[in-house]
Amino acid sequence: MIEIRGLSFSYGKTKVFRNFDLSIPEGQVCLITGINGVGKSTLLRLMAGVLRPDQGEIRYDARLGADPRRKLGFVSDALSLYESMSVAEAIGFHKSVYGLSSFDDSLVRHTKISYSQKIRELSVGQRTILHLNLILSLEPEVLLVDEIIHSIDAYLRRIFLEQIVQILSKRRLTVVMVNVNFHDIEHLIERVILLKSGEITVDENIEDLKAKVKRINARNRPESLNILSRIDYSDHSEFFIYPFNEGLRGAIEGDIFDLNLTEIVSAFIGGEYA
Amino acid sequence: MVELEGPPQIIIDAKSAVPVYEQIKRAIKLAILSGRLKDGEQLTTLREMALKLMVNPNTIIKVYGQLENEGFIYSRPGAGHYVRLDPAKFIQSKHELFREVSQDYISKALQLGYSAEQILREVAVLTNIGIPTARRKDKGND
Repeated sequence: MIEIRGLSFSYGKTKVFRNFDLSIPEGQVCLITGINGVGKSTLLRLMAGVLRPDQGEIRYDARLGADPRRKLGFVSDALSLYESMSVAEAIGFHKSVYGLSSFDDSLVRHTKISYSQKIRELSVGQRTILHLNLILSLEPEVLLVDEIIHSIDAYLRRIFLEQIVQILSKRRLTVVMVNVNFHDIEHLIERVILLKSGEITVDENIEDLKAKVKRINARNRPESLNILSRIDYSDHSEFFIYPFNEGLRGAIEGDIFDLNLTEIVSAFIGGEYA
Repeated sequence: MVELEGPPQIIIDAKSAVPVYEQIKRAIKLAILSGRLKDGEQLTTLREMALKLMVNPNTIIKVYGQLENEGFIYSRPGAGHYVRLDPAKFIQSKHELFREVSQDYISKALQLGYSAEQILREVAVLTNIGIPTARRKDKGND
């Protein structure tokens, strides 16, 4: 459980969050999305304890103990690895810092990373995988995943996601992802949160969201429906609407289409840019 | 007709508002009702299914749980899930599925302007059965 209450945070004079609340139950896989610069990564850094709130608090499940950060894995681009160490030394260092007796290299094993390679010789994707492997060795209860997974190739991304599925099928793990590209994580996500100007504008479980956001192809603007965004063609328009409910189906003149998560988020975000 | 065997190919339509658990459930049901998955056969494990389809393991837990409640499969604690075929239930579910498929076909054909008689005749031709009246007419046309 992550409980954010009355959070305020600014970068200098730029207010990012003001009196912000959010609660994420234990074991939920949650996606935070929104346009660039809306504060998604800032929120994740606040949750990870890398940034301190100006006001308000972020509370974690008491079960995580006095030092919740130990049970919190933050996968970000700020990798705290010593460049001059070899992979073997980095793993050894990690083991001694956290007092681990063994190290399961299930992720690194799947890559072409050699133990004698220096950290500085690794690609961004390889570093991310190594970093994730180090994090997972601490058996985190919460995994915070920043947009960094965009920078790794399709194969490593698959390895990364498979590892998360492996853990989810064994035990409870709360996952909070920040993302704008979803095709391969779409079916892992249980809840979608859309941020706009430091506030939550959409907070739905994935099934409800898919039922409520539709594209309507019609010649005329459908009446009495909330339109998120639209695309006009010479002979018709595409209207993205929210919230839709099945009771409206008969009254709508036009064809109604379901959308995938990428299209749904684009519809919301498109509306913000319009 | 070639009889398909082995685990069904499950394709999730990410665009569909039909929940993912429902899509997977339908695919497994179809595999059972079409005889592709046989009585007593073991289903792909929860973990493997989640990995293969890259879906949240909770979704697969829901699918298997519902299939179990509906009497299509049973679980052995710690040893996986297995197909169970109750003959009466099998016939009923199969018929329900047939109705669903037929409804879809018929409504599309009606939309195209075909009458019930024409649809019936077409079905007879397509399935190579033929019905007496249709056959007589065919001969007349020759």
